Amino acid sequence: MSDTTVLGGRAVRESLRTPDALIPTIFIPLFFLVVNTGQVSKIFQADTTAFLQGQGYAAFQLPTSLLLAASFGSSALFLVEEIEGGYFDKLRAAPISRVSIVFGRLWSEGIKSLALTALMVLVALPFGVRVASGVAGFAVLLVLIALWAVVFSGFMQLIALKSRSAAATQAGGMAFFPLLFITPNFVPRDQLSRLMEIAASFNPVTYLMEAARSLVLDPTFQWAVLGKGFVVVALAMAVMVALTVRAINDYE
Amino acid sequence: MTLAVEAIALVKRYRGKGGEVDAVRGIDLAIPTGSVFGFLGPNGAGKSTTVRMLTTLMTITAGSARVAGIDVAADPDAVRRRIGVALQEAGLDPRQTGRELLRLQCRLYGMSSAEAAERTEELLRLVELEDSADRNVKGYSGGMKRRLDLASALVHRPEVLFLDEPTTGLDPASRLTIWEEVRRINEQGTTVFLTTQYLEEADQLCDEVAIIDDGLIVRQGSPAALKDELARRRGDGSVPTLDDVFLDATGRSRARVAGDVQEVQA
Repeated sequence: MSDTTVLGGRAVRESLRTPDALIPTIFIPLFFLVVNTGQVSKIFQADTTAFLQGQGYAAFQLPTSLLLAASFGSSALFLVEEIEGGYFDKLRAAPISRVSIVFGRLWSEGIKSLALTALMVLVALPFGVRVASGVAGFAVLLVLIALWAVVFSGFMQLIALKSRSAAATQAGGMAFFPLLFITPNFVPRDQLSRLMEIAASFNPVTYLMEAARSLVLDPTFQWAVLGKGFVVVALAMAVMVALTVRAINDYE
Repeated sequence: MTLAVEAIALVKRYRGKGGEVDAVRGIDLAIPTGSVFGFLGPNGAGKSTTVRMLTTLMTITAGSARVAGIDVAADPDAVRRRIGVALQEAGLDPRQTGRELLRLQCRLYGMSSAEAAERTEELLRLVELEDSADRNVKGYSGGMKRRLDLASALVHRPEVLFLDEPTTGLDPASRLTIWEEVRRINEQGTTVFLTTQYLEEADQLCDEVAIIDDGLIVRQGSPAALKDELARRRGDGSVPTLDDVFLDATGRSRARVAGDVQEVQA
């Protein structure tokens, strides 16, 4: 087994032993799902709103909540704790690839996100939400959101490595909120104001949201939309990995 | 005589806001294989920085170092395979149990699952933590954490063991337990490089000590030789302790004595 998998297994155990860290990850996105849906569901009704493609407004909002949940990864805060407590140096003194210390945690974030995304979709089912693209679409949705969780946690871990501070790392996570809301969060992009549409078009999270939404609302795969979503994840992943390798190798 | 640790003109320079600072200013070390070496010095003297360079946790600014015969800068991975490290503030994962932590450490040193399980049980017996092995490390006492940290540094039977202030903050009984472990480890052939602020500890355990102050080694030799040298210089018939040697070497004065822990101030 590789060092990354061994350390990833440890991080999964760590998550299971800190269920309190998972509560906000599930509760806050579900809270937004319920509140946002409740506020506008009378305006956007399934039979009169074309962009809902026959589903309730909760289906349109679900991808926002999934992306929000993916941004609640706790790995960076655990990493800071390990740096402060000295265990990080213990691992650095072992004959392993130093990158595996960080990538093990990302591996665990991916697994955790797969489980949480599946759970949130299951919770949404009784409220009339369906993944219109079927089982295959559901699987692609899980992968897309889990990859984003890995990318996002990776950037958070970078902040942790650079700052070695829990406060700075937590503040870094807040940067995601504007990005999540400068998107076609409530309506499709072509129905936003012109200024908002331009801003959303420059926001990479828009393409992730549109890809995830197409899987929930469209019965057939929208390859162009999905392609853009996965390209965003791939590019962000490449940047994150390059910066992480540099940061961990320069770490003293 | 083979050397377990050898440093030549070792320098560590930091770039800070106020300019460059030399934390270690060109030290030489020659530590024979199989010995217990004590590295003493006041806070901020450069002890931990030196240990971090020798254990590959920090780059060397200038000079060179060989540990277990391997150049630290040229082949840090090979050095890591031959050393064990227990740093200040027992570095342990609080959410794992003692058994899980040791098994993980064994796996990181390339052992199979079965080998890791066997070695873990050996080490738990060695540090007498069998009864607490399935408790989360978070609930361990300070002494238990130190013993577990020590065990985790021994999983791969290292040639050189670095212990950075292994007994700081421990009660006298726990300290004695760690001393016994260090002696036992050394008897099995492991070279021990120990930093400490407790001079009695160095006197009890070490074959040779070096005193570092402001990044430079100011005394080096066996505790007995250093005390004899000071007695000769004094020439008043008094019998100096290692504390006296330390104070003489660092130009500090006695400030206060609390229990068996002596603190010194500039």
